[in-house]
Amino acid sequence: MSLTLIALGATVAVLLALLVWTLRGSERYIGSRTVSKPLEGSGRTHVSFLPQMRQALRSEDAEFLMRAGFSGLRNRVRRERRRVALLYLSALRQDFEELMRISRIIAGLSPEIGVGQELERLRLRTSFLWRYRIVWMSLWAGLTPLPQISNLSNLLSGYSVRLEEAMKELGERAAIVAEMVSSPDRRSIHPV
Amino acid sequence: MAGLTKYVQWVWGISVAVQAAVCVVLFLRGNFRRVPFFTAYLMSNVCQAVALYVVYYQFGYGSRTAALIAWWSQCIPQLLRVLAISEVLRLVLKPYRGIWGLGWRVLTFAFSVVFSVSLIGSWHELSWAVLVADRGFHLAFGVAVVACLLLAHYYLIPIHPVYKALLGGFCFYSCTVVLANTIGGILFLHGNANFQMIWQLVTMGAFVAVLAVWAVTLRTPLPEPTQREVSPETARTYWEMSPRINERLRLLNEQLDRFWKPEATH
Repeated sequence: MSLTLIALGATVAVLLALLVWTLRGSERYIGSRTVSKPLEGSGRTHVSFLPQMRQALRSEDAEFLMRAGFSGLRNRVRRERRRVALLYLSALRQDFEELMRISRIIAGLSPEIGVGQELERLRLRTSFLWRYRIVWMSLWAGLTPLPQISNLSNLLSGYSVRLEEAMKELGERAAIVAEMVSSPDRRSIHPV
Repeated sequence: MAGLTKYVQWVWGISVAVQAAVCVVLFLRGNFRRVPFFTAYLMSNVCQAVALYVVYYQFGYGSRTAALIAWWSQCIPQLLRVLAISEVLRLVLKPYRGIWGLGWRVLTFAFSVVFSVSLIGSWHELSWAVLVADRGFHLAFGVAVVACLLLAHYYLIPIHPVYKALLGGFCFYSCTVVLANTIGGILFLHGNANFQMIWQLVTMGAFVAVLAVWAVTLRTPLPEPTQREVSPETARTYWEMSPRINERLRLLNEQLDRFWKPEATH
């Protein structure tokens, strides 16, 4: 019986914690943020620094410093670059979260959504976060080659552009609908 | 009314008075039109309390007849409670048709699964089965509400403060009942003479606290139900974009995999 009490007590504690978290979190969304804001600062801010990052992460500099005999300076440069790479990786994750937010808004605007598609996205997001943690730790420990980040950036960049196109398209459609709604003859509207 | 302690009678009386006050607030502010099932739920609770008072007075608190009437009469408020919570969730999620379509499925699925699981092995004795069923109902109820709130949170859906208070109140009360039923059962098995009083005071006390919050928050008029104008084009965009997004995420995960695979380092 005490086992039942512990199990139910833990379940209730988790439920109450989730309840407080969800109810407190939803305050952020009150207002007209859903449609107008997503394009601002979506995704591209950090990814757009990719050329500079590529330049900074090139291995030629380290090789040159090694050949020139500046091993101390080379180590310092590597440390600094790793720190920058970690910051960049964190920023990419922010971009990813922002893009996820936009994709959720697209789902919110749609009159029907696919359960399979949404579950798949949830699974992929969880998977991304898990892998991101591993990559972050391996990068932090100096086990991962820095130039690999550029591949990740390319992916995020492409993802961002497509989503922005979709949001722009949605915005244009929303404006047309709003115009139709405000017109005197509303009988011509056939909302779903 | 012998059998009910003075404390329990007091809390019971306060509970009925606060419920009546919430009903008055609902009618004065016109909110009963927005949440008719919620209003019906509170009124059914008041009616049930009055009926039980008469039954206890007539048959005695400890009689089997009174106990049977008390538990059976519980069915109507419980049913109305389910309808009331569905009503509030519908008001929150209805402007988002796609999400609401997913939401009611989540609600039904979560409730059915948790309720069924919690009933397993409860039919050995009737009195024990009633306790377990009541606990299972409240647990399933709490899980379903939190699941729907998680869904709203995930899709960045804003929730009006009054609806937050209603949903939070329902869930908090259900969680309290789950714990109270469990602790009450343990005290009963250990032969504690006061187990019934403790159970009654905890559940009724929590309900009074929730009612007080509702009475304060429901003074605010509830918002007009928003009707989002949706175009079929938005659905088309979703169906076009969603597989692409998932494909992109899959690629992103593969890319992350290559970070720590030796063959990808060159």
